[in-house]
Amino acid sequence: MNSPLLNLVPGKTFLHKLTGKTKVRTFLVLLVYIIMSFDIRLLFPLLVASIIGLVSLKPRWKTIKVFFYIAIGMNLINVILYYLARPTCGANWCGGGNTVLFQFTDYFTVSAETIWYLSVRFLKMMTSFIVSMVFILSITPSEMAAGLYSVKVPYKICTVFSLAFRYIPDIARDYENIKVSMQARGVEMDPKKASVMTRLKQNVLILIPLIISSFERVGNISNAMDLRGYGKGKTRTYYSEHEELKADKIFKVIYCALLVFCIYWIISHNIMPQPSKMWHPFS
Amino acid sequence: MDTPIIEFKDFSFQYKSQSNPTLHHINLAINRGEKVLILGPSGSGKSTLANCINGLVPFSFDGTITGTCEIAGRATKSASIFALSKVVGTVLQDSDAQFVGLSVGEDIAFALENQSMPRSEMIPKVQKASELVGMQDFLLHVPYELSGGQKQKVALAGVLHEDVDILIFDEPLASLDPNMGMMAVDLIDRIHREQQKTVVIIEHRLEDVLYRHVDRIVLMNEGSIVFDGTPDKLLASDLLRQYGIREPLYIMAMKFAGCTFTGEQSLSDIQTMDLAPFRDKLIKQQQLTLEKYTPQYGDTVLEVSGVSFAYAEKPVLQNISFTIRKGEKVAFVGKNGAGKSTMAKLLCGIIRPREGTIAINGENYLKYSIKELGEKIGYVMQNPNHMLVKDMILDEVKLALTLRGKSPEEINEAVKETLKMCGLYAMRNWPVSAVSYGQRKRVTIASILVLKPEIIILDEPTAGQDYRHYTEIMEFLEELNRNYGVTIVFITHDMHLAIEYTDRALVFAEGQLIADDSVFKVLSNDAVIEKANLKQTSLYTLAKRLGLEPEAYIEHFITYERQMRKHE
Repeated sequence: MNSPLLNLVPGKTFLHKLTGKTKVRTFLVLLVYIIMSFDIRLLFPLLVASIIGLVSLKPRWKTIKVFFYIAIGMNLINVILYYLARPTCGANWCGGGNTVLFQFTDYFTVSAETIWYLSVRFLKMMTSFIVSMVFILSITPSEMAAGLYSVKVPYKICTVFSLAFRYIPDIARDYENIKVSMQARGVEMDPKKASVMTRLKQNVLILIPLIISSFERVGNISNAMDLRGYGKGKTRTYYSEHEELKADKIFKVIYCALLVFCIYWIISHNIMPQPSKMWHPFS
Repeated sequence: MDTPIIEFKDFSFQYKSQSNPTLHHINLAINRGEKVLILGPSGSGKSTLANCINGLVPFSFDGTITGTCEIAGRATKSASIFALSKVVGTVLQDSDAQFVGLSVGEDIAFALENQSMPRSEMIPKVQKASELVGMQDFLLHVPYELSGGQKQKVALAGVLHEDVDILIFDEPLASLDPNMGMMAVDLIDRIHREQQKTVVIIEHRLEDVLYRHVDRIVLMNEGSIVFDGTPDKLLASDLLRQYGIREPLYIMAMKFAGCTFTGEQSLSDIQTMDLAPFRDKLIKQQQLTLEKYTPQYGDTVLEVSGVSFAYAEKPVLQNISFTIRKGEKVAFVGKNGAGKSTMAKLLCGIIRPREGTIAINGENYLKYSIKELGEKIGYVMQNPNHMLVKDMILDEVKLALTLRGKSPEEINEAVKETLKMCGLYAMRNWPVSAVSYGQRKRVTIASILVLKPEIIILDEPTAGQDYRHYTEIMEFLEELNRNYGVTIVFITHDMHLAIEYTDRALVFAEGQLIADDSVFKVLSNDAVIEKANLKQTSLYTLAKRLGLEPEAYIEHFITYERQMRKHE
C-alpha cells in the first residue's frame, strides 16, 4: 500500500531503485546547485532533467496535479510581488542596464532586464520544486533515514524520520475515530452550521484524548525498541538499504562531479569580480 | 539435571512512583525448555514479573529491587537490557506499537540493524525467521495491511533470529479474534517444541492458552505467587474462582454438575481427558428441567433492510437485513474485517448505505445528521481514553447536553438521573483520571446514555479486561438492560460474552450476514463457526463427547448459568 504522495514500499522504476544514500546525496548536491546561481545556462538543463525524472517515476498525476497548481500559483504571486515592490529590480541584477519596453505609469515600467530576471527566478523556483517532488516521490521513509545516516546525521535523528512516517497513519486513524465519537456527542463539524471559531474550540475536545493516547503509544514504542537493542551501539545498519547497483555508481560519479563543479563555481564567483550578478543576454 | 534459566530468589520490586511494592518475595525457578503460563488478574504483578525478566525493570521502569533475579546465570540488577535482549525475546501486548519498521522485513531486521550487522548477513536471517512464523510471503508488506495476528507473528520473528533462549509473550491473545488466538497459541507451541525455547506466557485467558499443552502454571495475586503447579491441579482446585480468573467453560459445566476432582486426573485437555468418572453426573445434570428463559421485548426500534455499502469498488457489506426490538441484547460477531464495525458506523450515520434503508422507529434515518443520530443511537468506543475529554465526571456526562444548548435545569435533571443509573452519583465530583478503568468505562457509557438513545452500541466493551473487570462491566450493562430497558448491541469477538450476556447473535463474514439466531444455535452450527473465524466452545466438544445434542446442551448450560448468576 502506498499513499499517492508517499511511498512506503520501494517502487519499480529506475530512480526508485537507487539506494537511499544516492537519493539523499544527489538531492543535497542539487539543492546547492540550484541555490548557488541565477544562471539559466545551469538551471534550464536541470529543469529538463528533473521533468524527465518526474515522468519516469510514473506518478499519479491526478493527485500531484494539485501540488503543481499550488507551486505555480505561489511562485507567480512571489514574482508579481517582486515586480510591484520594485519594477526596476532587473537592472540591479543585470549590470545596471534598464531597457524599457513598456510603461504603465512613471513608476511601473517594464524593462527587458526585469522580465529576464523574474523569468529566471520563476524558473529557478520551479526547478527546485520539481527536483524536490522527484526526491519525495522516489524515496521511502526508511531509505530517507538510511540516506541521512550516510551523510553523518546521527541515527537517532534518522529514526525520528522513519518512526514519524510509521505512526502518522495510526494517529490519523485515532483522530478520525475520536472525531466521529465527539460528533455523535454533539460537536458540530459542519462548516455550514458552526463558525470557524466554534469549530476550532471544539477541535480541542478531540485533541485531548488524542494526545493522551499518543503518549501511551510513545511509552510502548520506546519499550519495544529498548527490548530489541535500540541505542546500544554507536553505529547502525539499514535493512532497507540495498547494495549499490551500477546505477548508484554512475550517480555517484555524477553527484561528485557536480559537487566539485559547485565548489569551483561558488569560490570563483565570490573571489573574482563578475560583470553582473547574473548571466544575461544584454550587452 | 535441569538448571533453572530463570531464577527469582526472595525478589521484591517497588516502582519509584508507588508507595507499595508491586512484587512481594517472589521465589520462582523456571527450567530450560519449560513452557510456563503466568496467570493472574490485572494488577497482580504478572506483567511486572515479565518486565523483570526482560530487563525493562530496572532499565525503563525505575524502582527498588530487593532479593535477586538471575537470567541464565546473570543478575538482572547489574546486566544491561541489551545484554539481556540476547537471551530474552519479548513479544509485547500492543502489536501496533511494537511494529517499528515500515515493512515486515524491516521490522524483523530491527534488532539486527541495531547491532550494525551488514545487510548481506541480515537477509538470510530475516528470511529464516519469517519462515518460522509463516510470514515469508509478506516481507514487503506495510503494517497497515496486516491483521493483528500477523503483526504478532512479525513481532515474534523479530526476536527469534537472535537465538534467544527465553521467549516472553505478554498477553498475546488480547487483541486477536478467537481463531487467530488459537493459531497464535498453536504457533507458540510449535516454536517451543521445534526451537527448544523456554517459553513464558503472561495471560489471564486460561482456556484459550490451554488449547495447547502447558507444563506449569504460576498463579499470581497482588504481587505474590499463590499457586505454582500443573494445569490439572489448578483446574481441580477452587483457586481460579477465588482469584478472579475465568474457568474454562467445560470445567464450569462439570462443576455445575457436581463433579469432584481429585487433582490427579488429567483435566487440561477436553479432547483427551477421561470423562468416565463424570459421565453420569453430567448427563443427570442435563436432565434437570430448568425454567425456560424467555426475554420480553418491546416494539421494533431499528429496521435494516437490504443495506449494502462499499468504500470503493469492493463491497464491504452486501444486502444486510435485520431488525432489533426494544430491550434486546444483540451481539455482532465475526472476524476483523468481516463488516461488523462498518455496520456499526452505518448505524451511527458516519457513513451512509449505498443501497437499502435503515429506519429508526419507522422513520428513515437519512434525514438525521450525525449529531441528531447521536440522540437515537449511542456509540461507545473500545478505549475509554479516546472518549474522555473533561476533568470531572459530572462535566464529562454533561458535555453532550451542553453542546446541544439545553437549559441548565434540563441538563441537571438528565445528568442526575443518568449518574444514578450508572452508580456514579456519589463520585460525580471526582476527577476522571482518578477512577479505575471499569469506572471510566462507566463514565463513557453514562456520557452517551445521558442523551437517552434508543440503542447503545458498545465496541468490544471488555477488550483487554480480566475476568473481574469484565464481569463488573457486563453486570452493569445487564442491569441497565434489565432495569431500564436499554437496548444494547455489542460488537465483539469474545464468544464468552456473547454466550453469557446476549440473547441473539448476528454473525458477519465477508460482508454478509451469515446468521441471525440465538447464541446457542449459532454456536452449534459448524458451517457458521468456520466461515466467521469463530471458535467452537469447549461445551460443544463436551456435549459431543457425552453423546448429547450440542445445541440443547449449550442452551441448558446458559440457562443454568444465568440462574446461578441471579442467585449470587
